Amino acid sequence: MVVRDLRSLGFTSMTDDAYASAIFLLLKAKVHDLAGDDYRSSILESIKGWIQDVPLQWQLRLEYFAYETLQDLRIAKLFEIIVDYPDSSPAIEDLKQCLEYTGQHSKLVDSFISALQYRLLTAGASTNDILHQYVSTIKALRTIDPAGVFLEAVGEPIREYLKGRKDTIKCIVTMLTDGTGGNPSGPGNTGDSLLEELNRDEENQENTGVDDDINTDDKQAWINAQHWEPDPVEADPLKGSRSRRKVDILGMIVGIIGSKDQLVNEYRVMLAEKLLNKSDYDIDSEIRTLELLKIHFGESSMQRCEIMLNDLIDSKRTNTNIKATINQLSQTGGEVGENGVSLDILNSTIISSNFWPPIQDEALNIPGPVDQLLSDYAKRFNEIKTPRKLQWKKNLGAVKLELQFEDRALQFTVAPVHASIIMQFQDQTSWTSKNLAAAIGIPMDVLNRRISFWISKGILAESLGADSNDHTFTLVDGMADTSKTGGNSGSCDELLVGDEDGERSVASVEDQLRKEMAVYEKFITGMLTNFGSMALDRIHNTLKMFCVADPPYDKSLQQLQGFLSGLVAEEKIEIRDGVYFLKK
Amino acid sequence: MTTINSNNQDNNMPVTAPAITASKQPLPTAKSVDTQSVLKRLQSELMALMMSGDSGISAFPEEDNIFCWKGTITGSKDTVFEGTEYKLSLSFPNDYPFKSPKVKFETGCFHPNVDVYGNICLDILQDKWSSAYDVRTILLSIQSLLGEPNTSSPLNTQAASLWGNQEEYRKMVEKLYKPAA
Repeated sequence: MVVRDLRSLGFTSMTDDAYASAIFLLLKAKVHDLAGDDYRSSILESIKGWIQDVPLQWQLRLEYFAYETLQDLRIAKLFEIIVDYPDSSPAIEDLKQCLEYTGQHSKLVDSFISALQYRLLTAGASTNDILHQYVSTIKALRTIDPAGVFLEAVGEPIREYLKGRKDTIKCIVTMLTDGTGGNPSGPGNTGDSLLEELNRDEENQENTGVDDDINTDDKQAWINAQHWEPDPVEADPLKGSRSRRKVDILGMIVGIIGSKDQLVNEYRVMLAEKLLNKSDYDIDSEIRTLELLKIHFGESSMQRCEIMLNDLIDSKRTNTNIKATINQLSQTGGEVGENGVSLDILNSTIISSNFWPPIQDEALNIPGPVDQLLSDYAKRFNEIKTPRKLQWKKNLGAVKLELQFEDRALQFTVAPVHASIIMQFQDQTSWTSKNLAAAIGIPMDVLNRRISFWISKGILAESLGADSNDHTFTLVDGMADTSKTGGNSGSCDELLVGDEDGERSVASVEDQLRKEMAVYEKFITGMLTNFGSMALDRIHNTLKMFCVADPPYDKSLQQLQGFLSGLVAEEKIEIRDGVYFLKK
Repeated sequence: MTTINSNNQDNNMPVTAPAITASKQPLPTAKSVDTQSVLKRLQSELMALMMSGDSGISAFPEEDNIFCWKGTITGSKDTVFEGTEYKLSLSFPNDYPFKSPKVKFETGCFHPNVDVYGNICLDILQDKWSSAYDVRTILLSIQSLLGEPNTSSPLNTQAASLWGNQEEYRKMVEKLYKPAA
């Protein structure tokens, strides 16, 4: 009221400043009050409404000030807002409007990058979390800035950081294949699923096809032209505008890895693992994922995966066929009974190993009757599919078994090696580890690792023998241990143990790389033996020239140098004056 | 649960040519061998040699010519050549493997079947050559030749006459041995 009185007295110009600062302070408090830490509702409207009540001459300045205040507030909290995305989308929408008004996008970029560095890109954050945050960031910033210019600036540090992490590819593939995005905590986070993103892309591509220049549809071209917007001034003209245009989450994720080949490779390994552990032939969801990936990465790169899935489908058919014919034979011949094991319990997966990732091979003696069953099966396969023959991978697959004790029966689904171990205790309740390892045909250390499964289940007990390396394992009988096994005996459908102790039946991508490197190591040793000493680029050229078989040498000079320093560290070779020697 | 199996056959080669199982070679079509198939053959021999991991033998093509290889052989344990290392040169003819490669010692080697110029007298490198041999079997043969010379038709008569006295022979080998720089 004082203000109004003063104004009426002609003091307007003198009071301007005081009036302004008073109103600004009020507004600031109001905005802060309204905005708070709740991102689930839009508050811009109510602020606008409040501004409407202010005398007209102030409105423009005030409006700008209000936008700026809200924008600063939101930018400061952008990290939290994005963590809450998509629940926080109203706040993002507000921020978008503010930025359109004020044009202070660079402020957002700077502040958000520093928040990321400080809060996300640290050793303590799990790769999964970082990836999820990255995806949310992409989605959120897509709203604010459809052209993706700021996203590029913001995404850069995240991408760089993720490149340095070893498990990035694995996490991405898991996110791609799991509908839950690797975080099954409930319905709240459906936005995380990259699978859903695959679906969305599929629709996009059907509708527009803007990604390519080959846009034959004139009408569509005209529409695109109409929607053209100049690059924001902040855009770095050095970076091509085309690559910036499409805000394609999957593309950006793949960009982290560098090439889709790596991603496809990792997916293949993961798929193989999944398929090998299946006991039914149900692969519907895998087929769906594969179809989606095919749309994105092209038919040819997914071809091997497709063959793997076809193997499963064929296996199902062949399996049924073999069983039907064998059963017929046995009815007439009547010889199956003596084995004591019927074929009905066996399902096989027949794979074309050339197209599968390298599979770990482990020797294993399986119990006689089962072995007999497998060879019968293989014989029948050979009869049906001459000249093809079956080669069993006896260490792979899953065994469902039931252990009957005097007072209870337990059911397990385990890896074949576990089944073989426990079968040995059927006739003889106590084994020394040496004898047991020999009976099953596996090395001692493998046995010790595998047998711990049964010990942890309270089925076997371990005691030290006379020799410290030779332990004795005894079957734990009946009652004594009911208390020990506790929860386990109640619910006995166990997971595949293969997953539990980190054992994988398929060689991982790192293993494959190591294998490749082992070949190069042999070549390098070979050339150094015969030429004495060689400089880096001569080794590089020689490998390029002579290491042409599978896998051909395709590494860069830098990669080779890294590998050689690895060998130096292992004291296999040494380097002096820029040339490499064999360590004698 | 199935894969195709791959056969691994491993043969050790004594000095005189033994029976060799693997015969991945087509029948000799004499002169009409194109360079391409020789190249391929040498490539795969190199790969096999690198992956075989035999101890004490090694060879590698020179920088830009796959027809010229450098080889290295170390004397086997419990022979007078134990602890010594010999460099070889192998040069392959254009119609390899239908003709044998020329193999010479680059390091001087005091041996009944090696002359002062490094020429080697070994049946499989001359009249007993067969296209089933490869670099690996040649090197293994030469390595075993070191310990089991044929003293009845020597190139180096001094070495042949000294062979009976292994202690003296060892001293001679040590005296004359000049390892590659």
